[in-house]
Amino acid sequence: MSLLSLIVLVPLIGALVILAIPGTRIKLIQGVALAFSAVCLLLSGLLYHLFDTSTAAMQFVQKVSWIPAFNIYYYVGVDGLSVALVILTALLTVLAIIYSFNITLRVKEFFFWFLLLEVGMLGVFVALDFFLFYVFWELTLVPMYFLIGVWGGPKKEYAAIKFFLYTLFGSLLMLLGILALYFNSTPHTFDMLELINQARLLPLTMQIWIFLALYVGFAIKIPAFPFHTWLPLAHVEAPTGVSVILAGVLLKMGTYGIMRVSFPALPLATKWFLPFLIVIAVINIVYGAFCAMAQKDLKKMVAYSSVNHMGYCMLGMAAMSATGFNGAVLQMITHGLITGSLFFLVGVIYDRAHTRDIDAFGGLAARFPVYAGLMIIQVMASLGLPGLAGFVGEFLCFLGAFEAWPYYVAVATIGILVTAAFFLRMIEKVFLGPFNEKWAGLKDMNLRELVAIVPLAVLTVVIGIWPRFCLDLIDPTITYLVGIIK
Amino acid sequence: MLEYVFLLPLLSFAVAGLILAFGKWLPLKGASAGIAVAAWGFSQAFMLFVKAIQGTITLPYEMSIPWFSFGSTQATLGVYIDGLTIAMLLVVTAVSLLVQIYSTGYMHGDPRFKRFYAYLSLFTASMLGVTLTNSMMVFFMCWELVGVCSYLLIGFWFEKQSAAYAGKKAFITTKLGDLGFLVGLMVLFYATGTFEISKILELAHAGGIPAAAAGAAGILLFLGAAGKSAQFPLFIWLPDAMEGPSPVSALIHAATMVAAGVYMVARLYSVYALSPVAMDVVAWTGAITAFMAASLALTCFDLKRVLAFSTVSQLGYMMMALGAGAYTAGMFHLTTHAYFKALLFLAAGSVIHAVHTNDMREMGGLRHKMPITYITFLLGTLALTGIPPFAGFFSKDEVLVAALARNPYLFAIGAMAAAMTAFYMARALVMTFHGKPKDAQKYDHAHESPAVMTGPLILLAAVSVVSGWVLTRHEMFEKLVNFEGALPFELHHVSHSAVAIFSSIVAALSMALGLWLYKKRPDIPALVRETFSPVVNMLEKRYWLDAFFLKLVDIGDYLGAFMFSFDFNFLDQIVIDGWAWLTLKLSRLQAWLDDHVVDAAVDVTGALTLSAGRITRLAQTGLIQNYLLIVAVAISVFAAIAFAG
Repeated sequence: MSLLSLIVLVPLIGALVILAIPGTRIKLIQGVALAFSAVCLLLSGLLYHLFDTSTAAMQFVQKVSWIPAFNIYYYVGVDGLSVALVILTALLTVLAIIYSFNITLRVKEFFFWFLLLEVGMLGVFVALDFFLFYVFWELTLVPMYFLIGVWGGPKKEYAAIKFFLYTLFGSLLMLLGILALYFNSTPHTFDMLELINQARLLPLTMQIWIFLALYVGFAIKIPAFPFHTWLPLAHVEAPTGVSVILAGVLLKMGTYGIMRVSFPALPLATKWFLPFLIVIAVINIVYGAFCAMAQKDLKKMVAYSSVNHMGYCMLGMAAMSATGFNGAVLQMITHGLITGSLFFLVGVIYDRAHTRDIDAFGGLAARFPVYAGLMIIQVMASLGLPGLAGFVGEFLCFLGAFEAWPYYVAVATIGILVTAAFFLRMIEKVFLGPFNEKWAGLKDMNLRELVAIVPLAVLTVVIGIWPRFCLDLIDPTITYLVGIIK
Repeated sequence: MLEYVFLLPLLSFAVAGLILAFGKWLPLKGASAGIAVAAWGFSQAFMLFVKAIQGTITLPYEMSIPWFSFGSTQATLGVYIDGLTIAMLLVVTAVSLLVQIYSTGYMHGDPRFKRFYAYLSLFTASMLGVTLTNSMMVFFMCWELVGVCSYLLIGFWFEKQSAAYAGKKAFITTKLGDLGFLVGLMVLFYATGTFEISKILELAHAGGIPAAAAGAAGILLFLGAAGKSAQFPLFIWLPDAMEGPSPVSALIHAATMVAAGVYMVARLYSVYALSPVAMDVVAWTGAITAFMAASLALTCFDLKRVLAFSTVSQLGYMMMALGAGAYTAGMFHLTTHAYFKALLFLAAGSVIHAVHTNDMREMGGLRHKMPITYITFLLGTLALTGIPPFAGFFSKDEVLVAALARNPYLFAIGAMAAAMTAFYMARALVMTFHGKPKDAQKYDHAHESPAVMTGPLILLAAVSVVSGWVLTRHEMFEKLVNFEGALPFELHHVSHSAVAIFSSIVAALSMALGLWLYKKRPDIPALVRETFSPVVNMLEKRYWLDAFFLKLVDIGDYLGAFMFSFDFNFLDQIVIDGWAWLTLKLSRLQAWLDDHVVDAAVDVTGALTLSAGRITRLAQTGLIQNYLLIVAVAISVFAAIAFAG
């Protein structure tokens, strides 16, 4: 069994083990969830260690026939595009599980769904059979539905059903696209790499239809304008740990899908759609930033800033160059780290104050130096401060796109300014100024929260200073990818 | 020795972390570590300076390591050292060292003393990065980092609403300029294919960059410089930045960070020199800034804000010099200005430390209480106003010569700004140190600052007195910092001595007028204030520039609110949920149709069949006679038809 299969299997076993534990044994359930996700993280650390950065080929491949009648395989492997996302997923899951130890409602079910969610996410990033990919893709949906719908905020049912139906709609279109690819291949296959070789030769019109079907599925996940409106709602209603996973990992499934399949398999359609893609990227950046500026709710602000940041990602993708692609993939990783920790930090204050209203606070920096320090680091990273993780990815996205689309990129820079404006305004209102005595009774961060957030802050700094930790993984694959698209 | 220069920023970075983590256990809560590193940095810079003058080291020197690569481009971390670098290095390390010494006194007893030193070290590290880097990408990164340090230090006393606000204002205003910088950087990258400064300069010298690209890149990059170096119209943040502690104002907002924009233009001078348009943009922006800011200083009552406007004005001078083609003069003025302006800010800090107010209307007569502060401030004033033989005279004189050689109007604006400079400095000097104390209580409590504060003042005063004269001996500075490329325009011939005499007379007269008015006849300024109240109002509103930018912020907020309203009310609630609603309604309709049409059709068919059966059943009587009768009738009918046919 390959390492990858093991990585996917471990959380699945964990989920089943949790099912077997009586729901009253809360400590045990938490321990089991943590242990299995931690093993998964260790294994993905091993993956990082063993990953060969000199090649663009798929590694740790395992291929087993699954449904021979339809030529469907259990087929997994990673390359530079996916390996970092696998590690990111494993990391964020562990941290989110640690943070979620404060969940008291139906603990058993919570961690069961959480581990199942991890299986789905990891599966999406390692699957090389499109059918298997689809199965994992849908597998993320159900746990997410319950995690939001049961453990969410006041409007949780509405948010959960909206998330579910919206993404399901997208996946069905995606399924149509997948089937179109399948039936246009000879012999019929779901093998992604084989499909990439064959679909490239399809006529333009066919490519366009398939691209469109796949795109809607992926765009809803990213979320790309105008398919993004489920996101603020889902984020605001979801419990903290789930928001972290949602922003940190789930959104990347969309951009990952486009880069993994749509671009290389449908190069003619890609070229045809490029003007739309760049426009949507710019809209995401500027519009997302402006929407975030209008928010009074801290969590919603961070949610909209995700729309903005995924816009940078799409900008890099629309560059169609090694620079832009490198930036886009790096941006996926760093956005996961940064926005993930921002959602944690929002959770920290919400757990204490039971409000997220930006105007309700004031002067917190004086009494909660640790909290304020971490928040300021992550906010600075999010607004692209050099030396922190967000900068290099963002810069490469802009630089890459500038070659092909200078004027669009010039417009997109407005997003940077607006992002700085709303984040700094938030810092000013929440942390600076005279202390609001209403919050005198609150305590600074506890150990559980620190354990969940500090690793992300450290990584934010480390990757900011030495981006090669990520870029070395990514670059060979990207160079290859750009080659076959062009 | 050149091989170790890269350690300067690295050590400063490290010490920032050290102070933050372990400051509690270090002597002076970590300040000692910061000062030690700064002192070492200064010693290195000074030795480099001496060796460069002697010519015992070969310049330019470059060293780098690969950092990361994307596609076929290799980003590097490294240093690029030439005369310009060394001049700037000397400024940064010297002022940083003195400010750190001074701050042990000024910040004594502050609850966040440790953090202050960590920030200062972080700033110094970033500023050294800006100075030393060999790559424009790293330049931009460090450029942003100094911006953040500035943000943190302006808002250091963040419990004060105004300080928190000023920090944010500074960050966002400079960020606005940085958008231009970012785009300019990308233009430059695609015009040259590299971020490495040496390669860019080489290419520019060889004429390998098209003038249009050089001009576009130059102007866009200059937008960033206008933000950082507080040029028109982005200078609005600098006066408010005075909310920060005075040592911060001296280091960041007088000597180093605000000079970074000027340094950037000088760093890429070969690129600017390819485009007369870009040069003119730099020159005229500088001139307008010099004039506007000097006029704004005339009506200020806040001592530090007078100095802030003065800084803006002097930065305008530097830009004007660079734009007019006077590379050496611009950098020379940057150097001398850094010392005497840092001196003025630190002296002002010493005053504020004593009287706990920035308002000059509550000061007066302080020369008796604070003789050292007074004398050093006076020397700084003389240096700034350009009275010979103080430092400012030499550098300002060269700037004016350059302006005249390029364009007489530039010169006229510069001369007017010089006159105003002398006047507002005389005003500040009198209001602060001369006359009778305005606030007896504050005056009584005032006392001279401790030696850690007056020491740096004295040192800086000495430098302010002699540096202009020393650096012009044997054309020392010119040998260190000079531009060998060609300028895109011809310069007029100008008599140096005539300009020198003229500018000294203007400065002296103007200063004398200021001294006389504010000492002997304070009624006249009051009268002028009343008579020209619309002008005064305009100056106090800062030419309505703040209002203009606040309007932009309002527009941004409005746009945000509008877009969000569109997003939620239209896109989400109407389109998406509307669709869901429609689907729901459609499925209801379908259910109804299913019930009432499809299902009904089936039922109707069934019912029809049943009734048809019921009717035909009537024929089923069970009587054999009836059946026989029907058979007989049928046969007769058929027969009749057959025979008839």
